[in-house]
Amino acid sequence: MSPAARDRLFGFSHAFDNPVTLVVTLVVGSLLLLAPMLVWWLAWTGRIDRKMKSELITRYWSWLVITPLILGPILLGAAWTIVGIAILSLLCYREYARATGLFREKAVSAVVVLAIVLRSFAELDHWYRLFVALVPFTVGIIAIVAILRDKPEGYIQRVSLGVLGYVLFGSCLGHLGYLANDQNYRPILILIFLSVELNDIFAFIVGKLLGKRKLAPNTSPKKTVAGAVGALVLTTLLVMGLGSFVFRGTVLAGPGYLAFMGMLISILGQFGDLMLSSIKRDLGVKDMAATIPGHGGLLDRFDSIILVAPGVFHFINYFVGVGADQSVHIFTGG
Amino acid sequence: MKKWELKPAKDLGLPATERFRSLRRESGLVSTGMQLAWWSMVRGYMAVWHRLQITGKHHIPVQSPFIMVANHASHLDALVLASPLTWRLCDRIFLVAAGDVFFETPMVSAFAAGMLNALPLWRKKCGPRAMGQLRQRLLEEPCSYILFPEGSRSRDGQSTGFKPGLGMLVAETSVPVVPCYLDGSFEAMKPNQRLPRPRKIRLNIGEPVSFETVANQREGWVQIAETMERRVLELAPRRGA
Repeated sequence: MSPAARDRLFGFSHAFDNPVTLVVTLVVGSLLLLAPMLVWWLAWTGRIDRKMKSELITRYWSWLVITPLILGPILLGAAWTIVGIAILSLLCYREYARATGLFREKAVSAVVVLAIVLRSFAELDHWYRLFVALVPFTVGIIAIVAILRDKPEGYIQRVSLGVLGYVLFGSCLGHLGYLANDQNYRPILILIFLSVELNDIFAFIVGKLLGKRKLAPNTSPKKTVAGAVGALVLTTLLVMGLGSFVFRGTVLAGPGYLAFMGMLISILGQFGDLMLSSIKRDLGVKDMAATIPGHGGLLDRFDSIILVAPGVFHFINYFVGVGADQSVHIFTGG
Repeated sequence: MKKWELKPAKDLGLPATERFRSLRRESGLVSTGMQLAWWSMVRGYMAVWHRLQITGKHHIPVQSPFIMVANHASHLDALVLASPLTWRLCDRIFLVAAGDVFFETPMVSAFAAGMLNALPLWRKKCGPRAMGQLRQRLLEEPCSYILFPEGSRSRDGQSTGFKPGLGMLVAETSVPVVPCYLDGSFEAMKPNQRLPRPRKIRLNIGEPVSFETVANQREGWVQIAETMERRVLELAPRRGA
């Protein structure tokens, strides 16, 4: 392993090399400190009732746990980031499998889990060909394993659910982990997580203030057209602002590129949200699980990022390359 | 083409501690893996430490649903009864266990649910509702149960009589009930012992019985309990014969 690779994977001395990483960490940290005071002040002055207060406090506790779990691994090193994304993928897949009933097909589920583990190894090793090859291989192996029980009833269903599971939580979500192979991965991932989370919040706030026309009432009754457009504008501005620091010195720092990336994040983020709403409506469940108090399942929180991850990854990869200057096959050699 | 059936886990959305105690609990990949590892260990232990001898293994049905019932004299009993089962049945077979012993604290219930695949039966309040849930699950999934109709371990090695609760699960159904007799488990681990002694254990498995024609009401339940108690005792080895 070269010293540069070791440093990227495990070294945290460069954690705050990029100003965006430092500023966002400080801002988010202080928000987490200030938020409970704000809630208590709102309750004390009678602006929110007791029920609202307890709901906000529950959500606050969840954020107090989730935020360090996202930020910590990113700051610590690429290896921790990849392991973190692997755990996130496995937990999201678990929720999906339990909600769709796919978990009863133990063999198919085992293939998806193994493929996610192998994908994470491909990320750690910086082995792009394996990372890419795992999609058709996994599809093929699921199709084969589903035959072995010699029970054709429900074959299409178990294969399709397994393939969708791997594509969404193995492949799509995995692009976040693969991004950690870039020297500049910290500010890029922070930009993605921050803009996707704020995109949700922008849509919520603008929708509350201006929203009239429903966006897709059958899929998600609370979303409005105004919220969607407001989020598109605000997220694009946010990405253009932060992005110029994240991608400084590359072609992507140009306003045209950043505007496109911002729109990509906002649109794919909102569609990811609607995708999970559609899945939940189809299944007839309210939340995917009860993992995070106040939020529902992990998937209810991370749904928006699933489609954003490959979108942003390939946008960056097309114009400047992801980890193009980094050593490859770190563990497998060659 | 067969219509798609999207059936979420029956315990979806329950917090972990409640999930362990839920009669609707369904195992995922992790718990099935742990159960496989656990039962392989138990099988090895039974073969080495207790030189477990099984007769009548062919009486066990190949597919769920079925219920295995036996006399109950030791904590080892459930482990012995699960030993002859094939690994395919691993996540289909549930141990019906006393709630007040196995599901009081979160740690113990995690073990009971994760490793033993146990479902709790609360002895003080095992009303018709809990029995109804167990019966429904038995027929719908279908799954299988290991249970001890005496309700608790015998303190002196003598049978304390089968309770009619068993009847509430199988009356008017074709679910086969497999009688089993456990010999030697009391000597291997008496109620006051903490660790098992290396005594030989024998498991005799008898022919399954089903109760399609027995009415699903009090008299029927009692009749089923009496029939099964007789069937189990018939399997006891004759001493000195």
